[in-house]
Amino acid sequence: MGRYLRGRLVTAIPVFFGITLIVFLLLHLAPGSIVDLAGEGSARAAGQAARVEAYLGLDRSLPAQYAAWLLDLLRGDLGTSYASGKPVSALIAQRVVPSLLLTGTGVLLAVGIALPLGVLAAWKPRSGWDKAASALSLVSFGVPGFFLCLAGIFLFSVVLGWLPSHGMYASGSFSGLGDLMRHLVLPAGVVCVSGLGGLIKQTRSACLEALGEDYITTARAKGLNDRAVMVRHAFRGALIPVLTTVLTHIPHIIGGSVVVERVFGWPGMGSLLFSGILSRDYPVVMGVTVVIALAVLLTNLLLDVIYGLVDPRVRYAAGCSHG
Amino acid sequence: MKRILSLLLTLTLLLAGCTPAAETPVPTPMETPAEERVVRYGLSNAWDSLMPYNSPSGSNYSRIIYDKLYDRLAYVHADGTLDARAAVSWESADGGYAALFCLNEAAAFHDGTPVTAEHWVQTITLMTDPDCPAPGRSVFAVLAGTDDTGAATGERLGVEAVEPYTLKLTFKAPTTPEDFLLDRNREFYVLPTHLLGESAPEDVLSLELWNAPVGSGPCKFVSETAGSQLVLASNPDYPLGAPGFDRLVITVMDKSNLLTSLIAGDLDYYAFGGSVSVEDAELARQAGLTVLEGEVPNTFFELMLNNETIASAQVRRAMDLALDKQSLCLQSTQGMGEPTATDLTPGTGYTAPVTWSRDVEQARALLEEGGYAGQTYKLACTANRSGLAALMQQQLDEVGITVLIETVDSATMFSGMVDGSYDMAIASHTPGALPLWFTESRLSEGNNIFHVADLAPYASYFSEIKGAADAAVRQALVERFQEFLAGERPFIPLWFGRALHVQSPTVEGIDYPSSSFSNENVWDWVKP
Repeated sequence: MGRYLRGRLVTAIPVFFGITLIVFLLLHLAPGSIVDLAGEGSARAAGQAARVEAYLGLDRSLPAQYAAWLLDLLRGDLGTSYASGKPVSALIAQRVVPSLLLTGTGVLLAVGIALPLGVLAAWKPRSGWDKAASALSLVSFGVPGFFLCLAGIFLFSVVLGWLPSHGMYASGSFSGLGDLMRHLVLPAGVVCVSGLGGLIKQTRSACLEALGEDYITTARAKGLNDRAVMVRHAFRGALIPVLTTVLTHIPHIIGGSVVVERVFGWPGMGSLLFSGILSRDYPVVMGVTVVIALAVLLTNLLLDVIYGLVDPRVRYAAGCSHG
Repeated sequence: MKRILSLLLTLTLLLAGCTPAAETPVPTPMETPAEERVVRYGLSNAWDSLMPYNSPSGSNYSRIIYDKLYDRLAYVHADGTLDARAAVSWESADGGYAALFCLNEAAAFHDGTPVTAEHWVQTITLMTDPDCPAPGRSVFAVLAGTDDTGAATGERLGVEAVEPYTLKLTFKAPTTPEDFLLDRNREFYVLPTHLLGESAPEDVLSLELWNAPVGSGPCKFVSETAGSQLVLASNPDYPLGAPGFDRLVITVMDKSNLLTSLIAGDLDYYAFGGSVSVEDAELARQAGLTVLEGEVPNTFFELMLNNETIASAQVRRAMDLALDKQSLCLQSTQGMGEPTATDLTPGTGYTAPVTWSRDVEQARALLEEGGYAGQTYKLACTANRSGLAALMQQQLDEVGITVLIETVDSATMFSGMVDGSYDMAIASHTPGALPLWFTESRLSEGNNIFHVADLAPYASYFSEIKGAADAAVRQALVERFQEFLAGERPFIPLWFGRALHVQSPTVEGIDYPSSSFSNENVWDWVKP
């Protein structure tokens, strides 16, 4: 196991740097820089744009810029935001926890709803549970997150006046759990609904597949009741694909939800990434990319470990995948 | 499992409470007054650094933030009239080459230190130091002793503390104090130079001070989540009066949620001036909000042209004649705008005998004369103007000009015009009161965004107009320049638009229209 993990870690390193290189190139291939944003408001004075570009280091060649960024990264420095002038690591530190809170709550809610509903839908096909699961999946897959945000705001903030339409706190800083929870409900609800479809469908189909296995027939032949067969055997057999779906949400939880955070003015990683892209703030976008890439790679590693714990048939060998 | 979930949730909530958003200590709930008056302010784009001369984008979203934390010399109304702010009065000096500003002696930084003329002198001296990398330095290029980028040349710098509370600015060309303020006021701020210590000019931008800035504006810094939320407190000692609220919470959020949040009562105001489209204004009225019709133009629309790829002036003039500005303006402003033949802002006193009317036949004749060979031009626009671009495409097609539309973001559009990737682009700007507000900075060697081959005639007009002290002489020169522009047509003026402002009943005293000058009278705002 240890050798296997070390092997996976070693292969993850070039993948990580590959991701950063691709994102870096894509960012710089997009036309315009932060200096061009002044165009709408006022034109720059003579020579000023070039001077600002030189100040930000944008006048260097792309390989030189990437090499400088990489060297800083290896020293543990994610650079300084062009726009705010603050260290990117400090910006990320400010934004990670709100994202964890928002997306984490949304995903937890989605898991809490999707797992039992998916199991029930598989257990009792064409029942009310199955229909509810299908309807929820349809809404989750079919309605864009942006529309869900606006519909939620219209219904719960404008019409009913129950929930705040934006922000994390009413007065700009923490003033009690109640205030935070009220602000959390709508955006977390949207994250939950957006994630429900995949989880329900995955749980239902994995359980249905497990129900057709020989060991389920054996369990039934031994006289176990339906509930025991479903919970102790079928669901356990379906756990690996379900776990995969659930755990692949981890990078999403850390990286935040761009649309939801943007619409609700939630100070998370998603909105940081969005404003970074919009303002061509390359160090910020690269910093968020580093965090998300690490989360994805570590999640994959975590999944491999969990597969072994959940399914004793999974054995590890250095340099090859489970099996 | 349940226990673990509960534990995780509790832990996350606790962590959220400890989010390191604050750069300075934020009052704990125990210290927060029970009936705190909070003004909730929405902004659709993030600001840059809180150091006012360290804004690489130089956007209005940053300026509107600096306006609260730092003081400016004057307050500019939407109609171009000026009110005292850091300066209580001003007058011209040295034959029009200088302006004297009498500073408000009651003005003080948020740490209590009085603001003197010496602070202004030190600020400008420091920012114009060639070793200081301030991106916002170009604002000082109007002062004597600076080069085109605003860096000090070593000659006598055009800033002086004549008396402790009298500031003298000396210009390169004769400039009235009013013209200077209309042009530059929103970019001139005084810094707390007494807090900069022995910092070298090259290090000034990266000081810790800018994480919790001390200004002399109407609001004090409380906390910031950079690019997302800024919490400010009322400055009770602001000379023009303490803002009538305890806190101002500025949140960056999507445009789509600004009006709904105002209707829901979760926002008290959004920048700039609660501006709203005609369709949304009706929605706001139905929701019981008051909608104010702006009386002075707050937007100028133009069709940017690439004079290198559209090299013939006849072809450019043909495009001008081919466009039905009336219908374009109607489509865009829903009746809240007027087509124009010039970039001269209506109501400023400057006029030109240049008129516009659509003439398809004459446009075709000019195209032939200009040797248009049927090439396809690339028209760039942002997503919200794609409908407008499609209309333009149809109208240009009527005279035989083929146009391909590319919908891109703002930065891509401007950089595409700069590097010549696009032949034309639709842009809008906040109009200025001066006759050269639009042309001077866009038709210069350093920012020749229209790719004009010979800028010499333009430079000559600029110099003559700026140097004309007599109003009648200046007006005559402006007329000549506008006629020259009509002949050359380096860009196509489209229309001036007026804004509709949605007013929330939850805050009183807001001067909505003046926000177009990136200043807001927060000292008059009252949250009942």
